[in-house]
Amino acid sequence: MKQKSWDIHLEEMMEAGVHFGHQARKWNPKMTSYIFTERKGIHILNLTQTARFLSEACDLLANAASGGKQFLIVGTKYQAADLVASAATRARCHYVNKKWLGGMLTNWSTIETRLQRFRDLEDKENMGLLNQLPKKEAANLKRQLAQLRKNLGGIKYMTSLPDIVIIIDQQKEFTAIQECITLGIPTICLVDTDCNPDLTDIPIPANDDARASIRWILNKLTSAIREGRYNSMEIK
Amino acid sequence: MEIAAAMATRSVAVSTGLCGQGSREVARAVGGGAIQSSSLLGMKSSRLLGVKLRAPTGGQVVAAGVSRVQCRVAVATPRVKDDLMAEAEERWYNALESPLEGVEFTYEEFADALSKYDFSFEIGDTVKGIVFKADYNGALIDIGAKAPAYLPLEEACIYKLKSVEEVGLVAGVEEEFSIIRDDDKNGRMILSMKKLQHDFSWERCRQLQMDDVTIRGKALSANRGGVVVDVEGLRGFVPFSQISARQNPEDVVDKELPLKFLEVDEERTRLVLSNRKAIAENHIAFGIGSVVVGTVQSVKPYGAFVDIGGVSGLLHISQISHDRLTSVETVLSPGDKLKVMILSQDKERSRISLSTKKLEPTPGDMLRNPALVYEKADEMAKTFRQRVAQAEAAARAEELRLQQEGGFGLRGDFGSTANALGLDLLDLADIPPAVQV
Repeated sequence: MKQKSWDIHLEEMMEAGVHFGHQARKWNPKMTSYIFTERKGIHILNLTQTARFLSEACDLLANAASGGKQFLIVGTKYQAADLVASAATRARCHYVNKKWLGGMLTNWSTIETRLQRFRDLEDKENMGLLNQLPKKEAANLKRQLAQLRKNLGGIKYMTSLPDIVIIIDQQKEFTAIQECITLGIPTICLVDTDCNPDLTDIPIPANDDARASIRWILNKLTSAIREGRYNSMEIK
Repeated sequence: MEIAAAMATRSVAVSTGLCGQGSREVARAVGGGAIQSSSLLGMKSSRLLGVKLRAPTGGQVVAAGVSRVQCRVAVATPRVKDDLMAEAEERWYNALESPLEGVEFTYEEFADALSKYDFSFEIGDTVKGIVFKADYNGALIDIGAKAPAYLPLEEACIYKLKSVEEVGLVAGVEEEFSIIRDDDKNGRMILSMKKLQHDFSWERCRQLQMDDVTIRGKALSANRGGVVVDVEGLRGFVPFSQISARQNPEDVVDKELPLKFLEVDEERTRLVLSNRKAIAENHIAFGIGSVVVGTVQSVKPYGAFVDIGGVSGLLHISQISHDRLTSVETVLSPGDKLKVMILSQDKERSRISLSTKKLEPTPGDMLRNPALVYEKADEMAKTFRQRVAQAEAAARAEELRLQQEGGFGLRGDFGSTANALGLDLLDLADIPPAVQV
């Protein structure tokens, strides 16, 4: 598809602090090409490259969305958790914002069993069957339901493996990245100066610590997804 | 400069890119089933650079030295994603090849704008921040710097806290903080609200000192020289000499005392208070000869300490009853309520002398029938006052006579004595005139 302008402005990015990297002594040398300079002991990322990669990522997402593909957003940091949830619900994607359970993708069959249980318990609760049980059993089931909701709440409607996975902090979500590599799922990842850009398919060099930065990037990506879906509906 | 920089990035990127690309292509080719000779190249380059070799989708052995991937899902899922992956890689390659295509701003603009958006937070700065997560050990606050800053529990308030919610820090609240440490190993800054509260408290103490207000403070501990009290969250000191003499310093610990400020000096962190100064005010309320209800605080061999209205006075053994008493314990015990009359008070040394002797209708009643004394106390006090007034009148008459006789009269100043005795408040209307006995 022809490249569309995604409104990536320099001032917005700098306001959000996207260009700040981590401390200079904690860097990953593979990020040399993405780093602009060092200031006051902190690396500064090259925002031109950020913009470029971000636009490519948005195009990819828009294309995929118009093709009806499924997406998964993974972000378990404190700062990112609620942002991920709100962005994903806006864009109608799946998300993981509490702990990434090991084997969520590679052990998909087991996770599917859990999702089934989740659905069953929810139906039971909606129908009020839980209140008819003795107190202890009801309490147990409610606790199970709360746990399931906490861990799997974001992937409740996922029926098969996602097509593209968006990951917020590569260092933190290392398991997720490994699973995607094993399964051959393309990933878009926010890489900071202490991450390895070769692990992911499209790295977006950006600050993964500050909330404003995460929010801004997620906004762009989700708007691309929405755009793609809208286009596909139009075509239909 | 731009071209050179672009070329530099390109060369680095291309070298990594090609190898990365190469290994992926190799992996996919291998996934098709055939192990080609170029796989060795892919493996070698990947090991050189440390790039993770893409596991083949079929789960087959790539080459010696790389473990077989056992993944049912990887085997079972139909490979529709290949074209998506191909597109992703193609885009990535494009981004590397044409770094400025479609980008709205130039490299130089970015370089120039960098100085404009630099943040600098120094230690001691006051910043405004929004709380976005509170856990049991503190709170994470977004202050617009590179990373969110941390407010530990100890720094949240002067008083001891169980959780930051008690101070009102829940998600979404905006507050002022001051930076006390910056850039710990996570790049996070440590904030504090305590410091701001300290400044506030000192300001309040200064204000209270100027207004000369009496405040109550709880005594925390006693040390060699005085007592440490807690006032407005700050630690203040009350020297022994400034504690009202009625109370022992050790008894005072864990009690609330009325205090006034003596010295408030923030730079030297000196906060000195006085109990005696605060209590001195109370004494003026008591007039000599008035009857008050009191509770026995403690019993000593020489008398009893009776607490009246917050200050304690001494009820000497000789003043309890007309009859002779050997020990005070027979009549009084701590906690007894009785009415006492104030004999005299010494404001400077905060001493009040009390008496129940004068309140006995018949001498010796205190021992036999304390309840009677209690009831008749008011009557007796009045009688006492009358007798005092008579005595005064007699003395004044005597004085006048002496003066008329022209002798060296007593040149006393009766006016002040009369005031001290509370005589100016006395109503002498219903007293029969003095008759010669």
